[in-house]
Amino acid sequence: MGKYVTKRLLLLIPTLFLVCLMVFVLMRMVPGSAVEMVVYNFKQNGQVITEAEARARLGLDKPAVEQFFVWIWGMLHGDLGDCLFRGDTVWHVISSELPVSLELAIMSFIISTAASIPLGLFCAAHPDTAADVAIRTLSVIFASVPVFWIGTMVLVYPAVWWGYSVPLTFVPITKGFVANMKMFLVPSLVAALTTCGNNIRFVRTCTLEVMRQDYVRTAWAKGAKERRVMFSHAFRNALIPVVTMFGGSVAGMIGGNVVIENMFNIPGIGQQVVTALSNRDYPLAQGCTVVFAIFVMLVNLIVDITYKWCDPRVTLE
Amino acid sequence: MEKKKGGLLGTLWRTKKVSFFCMLVLLAFIFAAVFADALAPQKMQNGMLQSRLLEAMQAPSLKHPLGTDAMGRDLLSYMLYGARTSVIIGLTCTVLTTAISVVLGASSAVIGGRFDLYLQRVIDAWQCIPGMLVSLILMSMFGSGIPQMILVLSIPGGIGGSRMIRSAAISVKDSGYCNMSRMMGGGSHWRLWKHVVPNVMPLILMNLANCLGGTIMAESTLSFLGFGVPVNTPDWGALLTAQGRSKMYSAPWIGLAPGIAITLMVFAAAMLGDGLRDVLDPRLKGGMGTFSLKKIHKIAAKYVASLKKEGAKANAKA
Repeated sequence: MGKYVTKRLLLLIPTLFLVCLMVFVLMRMVPGSAVEMVVYNFKQNGQVITEAEARARLGLDKPAVEQFFVWIWGMLHGDLGDCLFRGDTVWHVISSELPVSLELAIMSFIISTAASIPLGLFCAAHPDTAADVAIRTLSVIFASVPVFWIGTMVLVYPAVWWGYSVPLTFVPITKGFVANMKMFLVPSLVAALTTCGNNIRFVRTCTLEVMRQDYVRTAWAKGAKERRVMFSHAFRNALIPVVTMFGGSVAGMIGGNVVIENMFNIPGIGQQVVTALSNRDYPLAQGCTVVFAIFVMLVNLIVDITYKWCDPRVTLE
Repeated sequence: MEKKKGGLLGTLWRTKKVSFFCMLVLLAFIFAAVFADALAPQKMQNGMLQSRLLEAMQAPSLKHPLGTDAMGRDLLSYMLYGARTSVIIGLTCTVLTTAISVVLGASSAVIGGRFDLYLQRVIDAWQCIPGMLVSLILMSMFGSGIPQMILVLSIPGGIGGSRMIRSAAISVKDSGYCNMSRMMGGGSHWRLWKHVVPNVMPLILMNLANCLGGTIMAESTLSFLGFGVPVNTPDWGALLTAQGRSKMYSAPWIGLAPGIAITLMVFAAAMLGDGLRDVLDPRLKGGMGTFSLKKIHKIAAKYVASLKKEGAKANAKA
């Protein structure tokens, strides 16, 4: 186990290198706008800076290959560069905002999992009944409703109808747990909606597939209780695809949370990326993207390790 | 297997009524998009809907069935032209995404070896960057515009989808007939287009509808974040962000119409995808259109008839 994890972690290094290369190439494809933006921003602050100086400031006067290795070298030393406009280091921005994004992702993941597994199992246990059809239709609708639309409505209508407005002032979890939870509850519910819609149907399909197997029939025949058949025989064996799907949905959630953070005024990395990209703050956007990629890689690793727990026949190689 | 009447559509109609109606809904959207110029009460002028501030923020009425927005534009016309944007981007992206994923996935599976290994590692790395972020980065590079959006939405989608095509193609590639074809001198090109692609076709068809829904959602999300279509191009997501949000209370129809339209279209695409999966599931039935039982029956009947004839002749001789 330990050996496997070490091996996988070591294998992350070349992948991470490739990710960095891709992000770098993506970011450097149109560098001109960043230079103009820097010149413009300095002008706004009453400072005059020539284009060549701006270029040098961005490190764009060196050849691209050198820029790349300077960036990588800095990253290995925990230095992701400086933000162009915020007067702060990228690393500092990320380390202060990553926990916020993680909290949102974890909360919405917990909510969507807690809702989709019981509902999916219920549908699989009573296939093609009215309840099953209703839940399935609802889940397709949930998956089809644009997150940003639901979010807008949640922000407006409860305030009008019940006088409840979603708290939009961010409170760090260290400052006040209850206030923090109040702040995060609605955004994570909205974020969980889409994922939930997809996952309910997936859990149902996977479980139904297992329930056609002979050993499930045997379990019924020998008189096992419904709960035992559903959990120990059917769902346990449907876990592998379900875990894969849930792991994948975490990656999707990070993308979706860009919108949620933007809407509910949560100071997370997602919002930071959008701002950084519209300001052409390349070092910050680069850093955030790499951090997201590392996060996704770790989730994939956790998913692979979970396989072993789901199915003892799986050998980790 | 029972006889198929009316091909795929007939089967869909008989077994999956809901999916069939969802397909009709999608067709209605496409119809609205194609004939937007004829259907819209207010026509586009110079590539944009002119604002008529005197008629701003009117509730739905006979003259304006969906009301007007803050700039006095007729909302029904806006929605119809918005459908055009969504349909153009949705359909083109779906085709492009599928093409990219088939070419990448199938060629990776058929060529195999080093090419497969390196390509898969690159795709591994690419997959680690969340798709939404890639789209945002690319959009901010290319600038807003419909052609840019099409590219930006199809490239990540195509690369992601190639995984599934690859694993399906590998199982086809390892099958007996494909090895036979190789033994008889079929090159990788031949095997790719003659054997692998036709046999993963059901999988591709199934994903077309899902891809359509996903693209429309992604498109409106990008427009909502302000990275999408250029200003003045009618677009559902852009309408929500520009006016629907701020006018959600004072003029709820502005926010409701695009939201419902997006939901309906994505819902229809998802249900159609579900129905197609049930009809086409390659695990339940054989590949589609690659093997015709009718033809074999015909040949067998001919053969039997000729045998009988010969038998009759032999009997007559004796």
